Amino acid sequence: MIKSYKARRTVVNALIYVLLGGLGLIWVSPLVYLVMHSFRGGKAELATTIIPKEWTLDNYAKVFSPPDPNVVNFPQWFMNTFIIAIFSCIISTLAVLMVSYAFSRLRFKARKPLINVGMILGMFPGFMTMIAIYYLMKAMGLLAMPKVALIICYSAGAGLGYQISKGFFDTIPRALDEAATIDGATRNQIFWKIILPMSKPILVYTVLTSFIGPWTDFILAKIIVGAQGPEHYTVAIGLQKLVGLEYKSQHYREFLAGSVIVAVPITALFLFMQRYYVEGVTAGGVKG
Amino acid sequence: MKKFLALLLAVLMLASILVACGGGGDKKTSDGGDASIDIEDGAKLLVWAPDKAIDLTKELCEAFKKEHSDKNITIDVQVQSESEAATQVLNDKDAAADVFGFASDQFNKLMTANALAPVFDPDDIIDRNSEASVKAATGSDGALYAFPETDDNGYFLVYDKSIISDEQAASFEGILEACRKAGKKFVMDAGNGYYSCIFIFTGGLTLEGTDAEGTQQFNSYDEEAVVDSLEAFANLFHDYSDVFLSSEVAKIPTGMAADPQIVAAGIDGTWDTNAIKEALGDNYGAAKLPTVKIKGEDKQMISLHGYKLIGVNAVSEYPNAAQALADFLTNEESQIKRAEGLGWGPSNTKAKEDKSVTDSPSISAALAQSENSVAQVNMSDTFWSPMATLGNTLWKDKDYSRDTIKANFQKTIASIKDE
Repeated sequence: MIKSYKARRTVVNALIYVLLGGLGLIWVSPLVYLVMHSFRGGKAELATTIIPKEWTLDNYAKVFSPPDPNVVNFPQWFMNTFIIAIFSCIISTLAVLMVSYAFSRLRFKARKPLINVGMILGMFPGFMTMIAIYYLMKAMGLLAMPKVALIICYSAGAGLGYQISKGFFDTIPRALDEAATIDGATRNQIFWKIILPMSKPILVYTVLTSFIGPWTDFILAKIIVGAQGPEHYTVAIGLQKLVGLEYKSQHYREFLAGSVIVAVPITALFLFMQRYYVEGVTAGGVKG
Repeated sequence: MKKFLALLLAVLMLASILVACGGGGDKKTSDGGDASIDIEDGAKLLVWAPDKAIDLTKELCEAFKKEHSDKNITIDVQVQSESEAATQVLNDKDAAADVFGFASDQFNKLMTANALAPVFDPDDIIDRNSEASVKAATGSDGALYAFPETDDNGYFLVYDKSIISDEQAASFEGILEACRKAGKKFVMDAGNGYYSCIFIFTGGLTLEGTDAEGTQQFNSYDEEAVVDSLEAFANLFHDYSDVFLSSEVAKIPTGMAADPQIVAAGIDGTWDTNAIKEALGDNYGAAKLPTVKIKGEDKQMISLHGYKLIGVNAVSEYPNAAQALADFLTNEESQIKRAEGLGWGPSNTKAKEDKSVTDSPSISAALAQSENSVAQVNMSDTFWSPMATLGNTLWKDKDYSRDTIKANFQKTIASIKDE
């Protein structure tokens, strides 16, 4: 038993740091592997050594200008996903915030029932509705335009996810609304000019989640786009195809490179949005 | 309030159902049993082909249009992988292609869902294709439901000619010995039912389809002979544990391309042919599976072998045109073009003799192997994972005495039959 408190602390800290370091290493290793091997050169498609022996940018070149677009058409998949994600992001962010605002600030007869209906509908797992969504889209003749269909799918029910932003709006003092009302602002103006500028953290949160959702979704996209050709694929479907039996032995490194590129827009969006994450808190909004 | 809401929801739901029916209802075909093929005027067809074959399929469709230029046919060719075609067709027959390629293991699923239109003129198709491929396209009612397209959907032996001579490649023992001498590995996916069934098929067991309840049926095999075979493989795997490697097949081209080379031979299929050729260059060798010594006797290894078929959607709006196109896409010339352009082994008996087929080592290997195989048709889904487990026990387990193997085998059969 070590007597000195200092020595004991050092030993305990060392142990803790070794443990945490080890866990951190485990956590980060798949990402390191992914990035490292996306630059791997040589003839072998799968990894034969943990650290690549040859390095190359060829995999990225192949991903950006595919030699056989019938098989791998990453730029097209990327664009498809990007368009879908951008539009769904805009529509669903607006929908979520407006619904939350209405539920938080307005008092009307159907408010409580609608909140309950929203809660209950939100409890059903999304998988349950997928087949129904497919047939609805088919009945509307939208299957031939999978991008439009997917944008509708992702943004149509978005307003149901109002809970978190409603909770946030509830914390903004109503005194602000009242002050604005006295100054002659309408409900609409209050939303855009008072509430929104003070809700940047929740705005950022909503934008991030509603962008990442469509960007990484696989199952619904597969159901809607599955019957279409690869020119309509999203990145998730396209990349999944590349690890299939027929492709793995020839396109595995393109899959790795593609996976790295997929992470870029989300990371960029997050870095860009993060600045606002810390600002714009309501503290000090109302002064005595 | 609540009542009103419920009513509103009910009406909305009904409306959407009605709309959906309106779209699908009028697509019913009028005649199904007409034997003479009279292509409809202005037929519009959707064709599904796998991505690698898309250009060739487009070219063939153009040729078909030219042949029937008086009929004003439009054909749209879309990419759809053969392994997924059945799933997509069963998801929604109306949205699926009129003519689509699929792998024979999906035939049963499509058949039972009535997704395939019977072939109008079966005699000609039966005549020109190999017997086994026709069998794979025949339904349980004895009628022909699809057009055989290839006879190569299986695996065979691939090896590096600079390490393993052609004579050595004829026997499993020879291959393993040559690999050991060169310090290289032999790779097969023994933990995958698709490959590990070799071990029981070689012992004389074959599949006899499924019964009415979907239970897998076997022939009346000799259990001792099957266990002999399993024991022989288990002994080899343990004797050559430094050489034998059980791993996913994608490791084969990779291990051959690696520097220094790790893998000298393996059991792989046509899907990896290009990658392996690239890795080995002139040393690329392909042959039917080797023989294995069971109780002192050289026995040919028996594999599971599938076919690629072209089917006509049962709800196609232009059934005659679709049938004629499927017929055209699987005729002798089309199959030869596929052998030349894509390296696909034909099912057409005349195309099998073509130079492009006999000159290609991988196609000849696949075709030679197909003669020593069990057809991958009408199989129960419960087959794969017990089979995979059995394969794993043979090379992983330390205890590979005859009694253990026998017990494992009986357990496997019981699990497959779901007893």
